Amino acid sequence: MATLFVSDVHLCAERPAAVEAFLSFIDGPARRADAVYLLGDIFDQWLGDDDDTAPHTDVLAAFSRLTNSGVPVGLFHGNHDFLVGHSFGERSGCQVLGDSSVIELGTTQALITHGDALCTDDTEYQAFRRLSRDPENQAHLLSLPMSARKQQAVELRKHSRAAKQLKPADIMDVNHDAVASAMRERNVRLLIHGHTHRPATHEFELDGQPAQRIVLGDWYESDHVLVWDTNGFRAGAVREMLP
Amino acid sequence: MNVRLQTSFGDILLALDAEKAPKTVENFVQYVRDGFYDGTLFHRAMDGFMVQGGGFERGLFYFKAPAPIENEANNGLSNAVGSIAMARTANPHSASAQFFVNVEDNTFLDFTAPNERGWGYCVLGRVSEGMDIVNRMSAVETTSRAGHDDVPAEDVILKKAEVVED
Repeated sequence: MATLFVSDVHLCAERPAAVEAFLSFIDGPARRADAVYLLGDIFDQWLGDDDDTAPHTDVLAAFSRLTNSGVPVGLFHGNHDFLVGHSFGERSGCQVLGDSSVIELGTTQALITHGDALCTDDTEYQAFRRLSRDPENQAHLLSLPMSARKQQAVELRKHSRAAKQLKPADIMDVNHDAVASAMRERNVRLLIHGHTHRPATHEFELDGQPAQRIVLGDWYESDHVLVWDTNGFRAGAVREMLP
Repeated sequence: MNVRLQTSFGDILLALDAEKAPKTVENFVQYVRDGFYDGTLFHRAMDGFMVQGGGFERGLFYFKAPAPIENEANNGLSNAVGSIAMARTANPHSASAQFFVNVEDNTFLDFTAPNERGWGYCVLGRVSEGMDIVNRMSAVETTSRAGHDDVPAEDVILKKAEVVED
């Protein structure tokens, strides 16, 4: 039995292969897990819990089957799906864990988060992030009709794409000081995140102690599942977990 | 029809369901009669899930298995504890020689719909004797070898497979 971590699936109707792979994962190997953690940007766009754009309904039903079978699922907000809310949690059976949380893996405490909050070199994004996570702004946005929310999302994406092209690649990675202070604050030596689409395991020293930062891969070229069991961590793929 | 698997852990007797899974049983029995499985490995042991074999020689060199067969998973048989089913690739109709024995109720492997995601894994029979052997096999210590996870650290060998005439 294992704990499984997945991030940056970016489910949307335009990427049917990723949707199929993710549903195969949820209805397949995830059923055998002790717990499943979804580290953000599982949905490419989530404009409120009344956003029933395809494939949201199918994915929600799959989550429901999984949680009904007894597997706990924890979902963190990403920068594409931070509007996943309370009602989503009730309908899917998933625990919506917000921005970050510390979980126990055996005797180790691990800080789990999407990772966008750690990209502090991208000051423009951080400014947007503060605005978009503001409860009043969110309440206002969610009070708009879905068509208006969709229109805003289109504009935002245009702007974000243009801005990304102008930014050097390194400011879109995590900032090491931000990582260190987040880990210090939560008193952990293990951090697991996604967001940067740069899967890797980084070993470093934090206040004289060995520390580890595991970055999950996305689901663009292939599916990436991080598996933790009594043997430690390993990278997995959905297909490899089936007979 | 019954098949006996002589393994390095002891004997396992399989009761095959030729009525529910005719093509799959015929295919499996042909491999047995050809001696194809003799000296192969149970190359995958996942405690609480299943043990898989029939595709690798000792040393983990991939077998060249003959033609794939039609997936008969829509036959109503379930991947319940003690059932034997065919392993395959992502293509539902790609099973050839590799098989696995479920050591838990793995109903998520059952047929749900005639598409890639829903075809499931075809059950062709069940263990009628020696489930304790299968359970012991699934619980062995494992390692990663030649790009494969969950490989028993010490070889679990299928010494001989034979049809047991009624």
